[in-house]
Amino acid sequence: MADPELKAKVEELIGANPVLLFMKGTPEAPRCGFSMRVVQVLDAMNVEYGAIDILPALQPLREVTAEISDWQTFPQLYVKGELVGGADIVEEMFESGELAEALGVEQPDAAPTPQAPPAQSPPLQIE
Amino acid sequence: MAADLGELKEMIEAALPGATVEVVDETGSGDHLLATVSTPRFEGLSRIDQHRLVKAAVKERFDDGAIHALSVKTSVPGS
Repeated sequence: MADPELKAKVEELIGANPVLLFMKGTPEAPRCGFSMRVVQVLDAMNVEYGAIDILPALQPLREVTAEISDWQTFPQLYVKGELVGGADIVEEMFESGELAEALGVEQPDAAPTPQAPPAQSPPLQIE
Repeated sequence: MAADLGELKEMIEAALPGATVEVVDETGSGDHLLATVSTPRFEGLSRIDQHRLVKAAVKERFDDGAIHALSVKTSVPGS
């Protein structure tokens, strides 16, 4: 059974953020490939979204989302208070144009751009 | 206990009679399973609800640890 206090907080966040992503890591530094794929899609859609790193409280949050949305795996994208899906669904809906419709934005022309590779350390100089 | 692809397919077919179901192990390691499911039953359902039906069908195998992750692709035949 989920912690009622945490559940209330999560419900409040879902209600307060029209586009909300529960993910592993942050949009700047995703800690899981599936979370990164959803971030890339959202960035391509050019929408503002809230993101919550679930790693510090993974198990309690699993219990909460199991009760709220009958879904226990992350990432989870909520739009207007409803769970849209995880990475598979978000990508399918992106490709079909359904996601743009759900978000109320225009379908972008370009495919999601892969994130820039990590900055390279400067070449070593031999003095 | 390893995932039994044939059994997963049967569980999904039992939950969604008449569905066309394919379950494959994409990497051969048992941890990247993909279920492709097509059935008229999905008509009018959101994708998340379509996925919920498939996941619910194999829930027992998640609960007993036989599978950890299952990617799902759903479609309505002819659309």
